[in-house]
Amino acid sequence: MNGSFSTRMLRTIAAWVVVAVFFFPIYYWTSVAFKHGNDIFNRPPKLFAFTPTFDNFQKVFGISLGSGGITVTPGGGNFYMAPRVWDSIVIATLSTVLAVAIATLAAYALSRMNFRGRHSFVGWVLSTRMMPPVAVAVPMFFIYKNFGLIDTYTGMVLIHALMNLPLAVLLMKSFFDDIPSEIDESAIVDGASRFMIFRRIVLPMAKGGIAATAVLCFIFSWTEFLFALTLTTTSVKTVPVVSSTFVTSIGTAWGNMAALGAASIIPAFIVILLVQKHLVRGLTMGSLKQ
Amino acid sequence: MRVAQARRFVVSDHPLPWLLPLVAILLVFTVYPLIYNIWLSFHEFVPRRRALEFVGTENWVQLWNDTRFWQSLVITFTYFAIALVFELVLGMAIALLLDSDGFGFGFLRGVLTMTLVIPPAIVGMMYLLMEDPQFGVISYLLQSIGLLNPNNPILATASTALAGVLVAEIWQWTPFMVLIFLAGLRALPPEPYEAAMIDGASSFQIFRRITLPMMSKVIAIAVLVRGIDLFRVFDYVFVMTSGGPGASTYSLSLYAWQQTFSFVKWGYGATLSLVTLVIILVIANLFIRIAKVRW
Repeated sequence: MNGSFSTRMLRTIAAWVVVAVFFFPIYYWTSVAFKHGNDIFNRPPKLFAFTPTFDNFQKVFGISLGSGGITVTPGGGNFYMAPRVWDSIVIATLSTVLAVAIATLAAYALSRMNFRGRHSFVGWVLSTRMMPPVAVAVPMFFIYKNFGLIDTYTGMVLIHALMNLPLAVLLMKSFFDDIPSEIDESAIVDGASRFMIFRRIVLPMAKGGIAATAVLCFIFSWTEFLFALTLTTTSVKTVPVVSSTFVTSIGTAWGNMAALGAASIIPAFIVILLVQKHLVRGLTMGSLKQ
Repeated sequence: MRVAQARRFVVSDHPLPWLLPLVAILLVFTVYPLIYNIWLSFHEFVPRRRALEFVGTENWVQLWNDTRFWQSLVITFTYFAIALVFELVLGMAIALLLDSDGFGFGFLRGVLTMTLVIPPAIVGMMYLLMEDPQFGVISYLLQSIGLLNPNNPILATASTALAGVLVAEIWQWTPFMVLIFLAGLRALPPEPYEAAMIDGASSFQIFRRITLPMMSKVIAIAVLVRGIDLFRVFDYVFVMTSGGPGASTYSLSLYAWQQTFSFVKWGYGATLSLVTLVIILVIANLFIRIAKVRW
């Protein structure tokens, strides 16, 4: 499969070129984030030769970079986004904790206990992953309205946890399936209770899997759009939802938009660092092992 | 003997307490909304009375006669089919390219991973800029090689708007296919390849006769997971075109959402979202049966 030196060389060059094409948009947006207005609207588009500025980040996050290092000045500007970033962090963190806790319990039972209807139960969990968000968001809007959950952290945390549950259950089940059940059985012989085995033996062994599941849940909540758009109005809003507020009647604030976009790439770095090993398994809900 | 006893104990252990939180949250958040949705589809909001009224099967009859609905169904299927084909073919090609140990390939996989975790709504906004007729980098490129008429903005021309949205979609999700296929390729046994090399098979023959068949399970899962997401496309069209120009990019999800929240047709919106759900469930379950996907 390796071929001669020249074919390998060609292949390596081709791979770098293809990935460069995919990386180009990310470079381009990031460059826009560091551009002054007139450089953004230049034609032909300026790719490299422009004077970088930190203004866009300052407007969007209240963070400025001067001679005295990084200074944080909260508030101000039409597109000040720091509260929305905070909302996104709170919602993603709490919904991840909830989803992973519930999913880990359920996945342990699905992995270790034999009971009637187990297969159809897994099928049911999977089918909730197939639901189009709009089919849940529309009725949820009315239900949330009746219970006063619109525009609250609680409401968003619950719906994002729900959205991630099928993924988390199936993924955790696949991680538990990898731990030999003989370990549980010998612990039972020694007189340990189910919960003790779960807490003392299985959970520590599945640490890596739990971390991978948690990071993926966090990312899916961080990037979720439709529920956040539908179930929030003013006081709680996530980052993807406010991205369209950069479009105003006097034009679009592309530089500010790009600053938000560039910052939204940060979770990407975290994912790559933390869970690349488990990423494929997570994206296919445990059905593929890497 | 003790092992057998232990095994019996494991089997007899009751799963209910473990599953209860999951069942509760799924019942409250999926079964209840579903029932509520069905109930809602037989009602309609009457603005002058500010109340929901029972309208019988009116919404379902309207759905049947609604050309906009059929149009959005066609658009959704078109979007689904084009994106899936591109993502599968490109994904497989790039995965085959990256499936060796060239210089920096681990780094390249890392870069590809980045596209997957940027919020699609923000990707949509970014492509809105790149496809802007005056200062977008994609528009500029296409115009300067003569592929695009400067008077036709990509996203505001009916014939190109869907393609403009699909570019964002395919850019973001082709790397997903690459990662899945790479995982699959890495797990293939080397023996069939060695035998084929000895028999002097060409690389295309090897791909057709060995790689593709052995990858069928991986491909099936990729199609299923991605297909479900493609069929409920909302973020890109909402941000980039809002369904326009005309109705050339209306997806089913977007249409259902707009009927409910922009036009206050609560009952009809619920009917549309139910139909979207039923179509996805039927197609996905048929696919799971036919392709024998196991979870």
